[in-house]
Amino acid sequence: MELLIITVVLGLISFFVPRNSIKLFGLAGSFVSAAIALIHLINFETGSSVSIFETTEMPFGLTFQIGYDGLGLMMIALTNLIVPIILLSNYNNSATSENRVFHALVFFMQFGLLGVFTAADGILFYIFWEFTLIPVFLILYWFGKGTNKVLLKFFIYTLVGSLAMLLSFIALGLKANSFAYSDLLAVHLPAKEACWIISGFLLAFAIKIPLFPFHTWQPDTYTTAPMSGTMLLSALMLKMALFGMMKWMIPLAPEGVAEIKWLVISLSVIGIIYAAIICIKQQDIKRLFAYASISHLGLIAAGIMVFTKNALVGASVQIVNHSLIAIGLFLVADILESRLKTRELSHMQGTATLAPKFGFWFAVIAFASVSVPFTAGFIGEFTLLKELTKFHFAVGLLSATTLVFGAVYTLRAYQLSMFGAPKNESFEDLRWNEILVFILLTIAIVGIGLFPQFIADLVGPSLDKLIIIFNETTTH
Amino acid sequence: MEAIIVLFLTGIIALFLGIYNQPKLTTLVSVIGLIGAAVVQHYPLNILPAEYNLLEFNQVGNGFVVLAILLTLLIVLSGQKEFLEEKSHAGDYNALLLFSLCGGIILIGFTDLFMFFLGLEILSIPLYVLAGSRKGVSESSEAAVKYFFMGAFATCLLLFGVVLTYGATQSFELSEILSKTINSSGNAMLYVGMIFILASFLFKVGVAPFHFWVPDVYQGSPTVFMGYMSSVVKVVGIYAFIKFFHLAFGGLYDFWSILIAVLIGISMFIGNLSALVQTKFKRLMAYSSITNGAYALMAILYPSALSDSTLWVFMLGYGTSVVALLTISMILNDDTDEIASFKGIGYRKPLIGLVAITALLSTSGIPPMTGFFGKLMLFSSVWSYYPWLIVFALVNSAIGVYIYLRLIMTIMSKETATDTKEITVSLTRTIVLVISLLILVAGWLMLLCWK
Repeated sequence: MELLIITVVLGLISFFVPRNSIKLFGLAGSFVSAAIALIHLINFETGSSVSIFETTEMPFGLTFQIGYDGLGLMMIALTNLIVPIILLSNYNNSATSENRVFHALVFFMQFGLLGVFTAADGILFYIFWEFTLIPVFLILYWFGKGTNKVLLKFFIYTLVGSLAMLLSFIALGLKANSFAYSDLLAVHLPAKEACWIISGFLLAFAIKIPLFPFHTWQPDTYTTAPMSGTMLLSALMLKMALFGMMKWMIPLAPEGVAEIKWLVISLSVIGIIYAAIICIKQQDIKRLFAYASISHLGLIAAGIMVFTKNALVGASVQIVNHSLIAIGLFLVADILESRLKTRELSHMQGTATLAPKFGFWFAVIAFASVSVPFTAGFIGEFTLLKELTKFHFAVGLLSATTLVFGAVYTLRAYQLSMFGAPKNESFEDLRWNEILVFILLTIAIVGIGLFPQFIADLVGPSLDKLIIIFNETTTH
Repeated sequence: MEAIIVLFLTGIIALFLGIYNQPKLTTLVSVIGLIGAAVVQHYPLNILPAEYNLLEFNQVGNGFVVLAILLTLLIVLSGQKEFLEEKSHAGDYNALLLFSLCGGIILIGFTDLFMFFLGLEILSIPLYVLAGSRKGVSESSEAAVKYFFMGAFATCLLLFGVVLTYGATQSFELSEILSKTINSSGNAMLYVGMIFILASFLFKVGVAPFHFWVPDVYQGSPTVFMGYMSSVVKVVGIYAFIKFFHLAFGGLYDFWSILIAVLIGISMFIGNLSALVQTKFKRLMAYSSITNGAYALMAILYPSALSDSTLWVFMLGYGTSVVALLTISMILNDDTDEIASFKGIGYRKPLIGLVAITALLSTSGIPPMTGFFGKLMLFSSVWSYYPWLIVFALVNSAIGVYIYLRLIMTIMSKETATDTKEITVSLTRTIVLVISLLILVAGWLMLLCWK
């Protein structure tokens, strides 16, 4: 229980902390929550599932059930470890880091995310899912540069998807007479209904991930958001959708998977290639990373739809990896933007000569992003591509272009911004907090790259359960 | 029944206190009377002999009475400052509100058509007066006249319908009408009567195609009384609508349900589309009340609406957010009533901002606010009967979110409107805002009290 409560408490205290110490308070608080997540991680017995809170009797079919298994715990740990890193990288942006409301919103956001990852009841899941929108919207609105149009597009777009998901939950819940996860799992559906229900979920998740034709909100939102907002969105919020696909969408309506499998995989593959091509021509560095994110997440989504053990393990590794890389890349973009007052790649030439440390760490993150061996990306993408090739050769081949394109656009961005004769007179090199963030990220990325078994062991048993449910219903 | 007596006596006392120019004392008496009425309603004393008791309240009915009293209480408190400005009339306003509420309670508890008609008229007649109470403003008089004519017309329709129904069934008792209609479903007079009654109800609660008077009347009326019309009158009217049709015409469900479902669909769409382009706050709220009234009316489409808490929760969320938003509008005290003049008040006054965000999110149905639970329960109850309507309602919810979110962005903007006046929040209004905030965030927990 302390896992969820602490974020609310921290959020409420943030309103009353003196303005000059809010930075330190936020950082310290987020480290406490990270420590709690680590304690949970250490005490966790592989393969078990832990119930945090449980009531079954509620007046309108809602049950308060909160708990986690291996997969949930991975997401919890990811959330609680990423939030301190976000606050740390945000340490010098005085517009946000010295604002009490900002910290409160971040902690409420964290609360919503933890709720999504621990909810064991459909409506509760939906409540937390929607709840996360409110703080992130306010962060974007108050601290970002987004016009009202961009923000409305973001909010309405994601909300429309969620409403479709709510409809699916209502339809499913009325069949099960309860919204509890276990009861929803037990419902057997005719293929046609399952197809409708899974489409509802898919719309919500496809918009959030985002998959190819639903992605139009994302680049604008990312580029106008403050750095911390972009990080929250790409490193954590989008992962809710991938997690939702794994834990909710496919196991709840496995009968419908066969019908939509090809649709989702084709959309993902189109997204992978389409976004990568846009990246290659992109001049705006933050936009470039936003499209890169679409490309990377498309691969994960395609992998999840295959729904084999290896694909899901690969997806889990890649979820963690993408969060880490997204933080790194958007930090790089923000460092460049805040010091050069521009996001145009053509104005950045030669930064490496002015700021060698920055050049070095950007290179590290860039290599992690193109998935060189010994980084987590290599393990994740390699497994996913292997499974996709097994599923269908053409799919594997087309998705594998992400490796080539990824290298092209990442290294192009690096070359254009870092090499050549310096265009600017001076460039302040990295500050201590930025170096610390890069070091932490690198340790994590290389650590997972060398020892991915840790994640595989953590999520393995819960994935096995999901796959058993999936196979049981589809072979009937 | 005792609640009505308490309210009536309080109203009389308030009138007399009005003569002695004691506005503060009037408010105090009204508040005590309202609280007393709620208590008496919840813990009945049963001092009256049973044969005088023509009203019947089940648990849900009691819930609605308490809700109507609660909303009136909030409205009396938030309007107190406006009453103070016209000291000589403070007593009249409070008394008329209380009298109107008496009619509302009768409308919740009626068991035959006599009591029903009586309740409806007692509810409406004080409102015709109140709508025109801004005597110096021509819009207010326009609103009063319009409201009166429309209301009178609707009453005529209703009476005509009642007569035809009586002709077909020879009874004023709801239960007898029900038993007759189940057996004689082919009687044309009954159908005509029912359509007339339906039309008059649609007039009263402002559902398409009889919604067009709503924006004009709401805009012209003083904000306090607009709050009363769009919360208490809606709550009571829709409950009476559902009760009437379930208890008297339940046998003809197949006939009227499809008709009402289509009208609900049209109504929520019209309300939303018109709200999209409004620049005046009260007109926006009026169209929003058309949409939300349509959502609430969806409860008529499933048979157990009168015995579960679904509609109550929805109305709790909707009524409270209306009162909260109109209180904010009164605090702003801007005669032009432009939405643009709300710009930045939430950022300047965090309490207002918090309440505004909560109220607007609740109306748009975003968790974890009370409005979300209301919508969720409503939609999932109706899903088995009219799935297409629910899909359409969700599409409309999405449009609604756009409307309310724009309002949130205006209110919470970091920039402020050009002519910034000093904004003061009086004590009573602070109380109203805090109570509404609590209800909007945690009101759904009251469900735990329902047996």
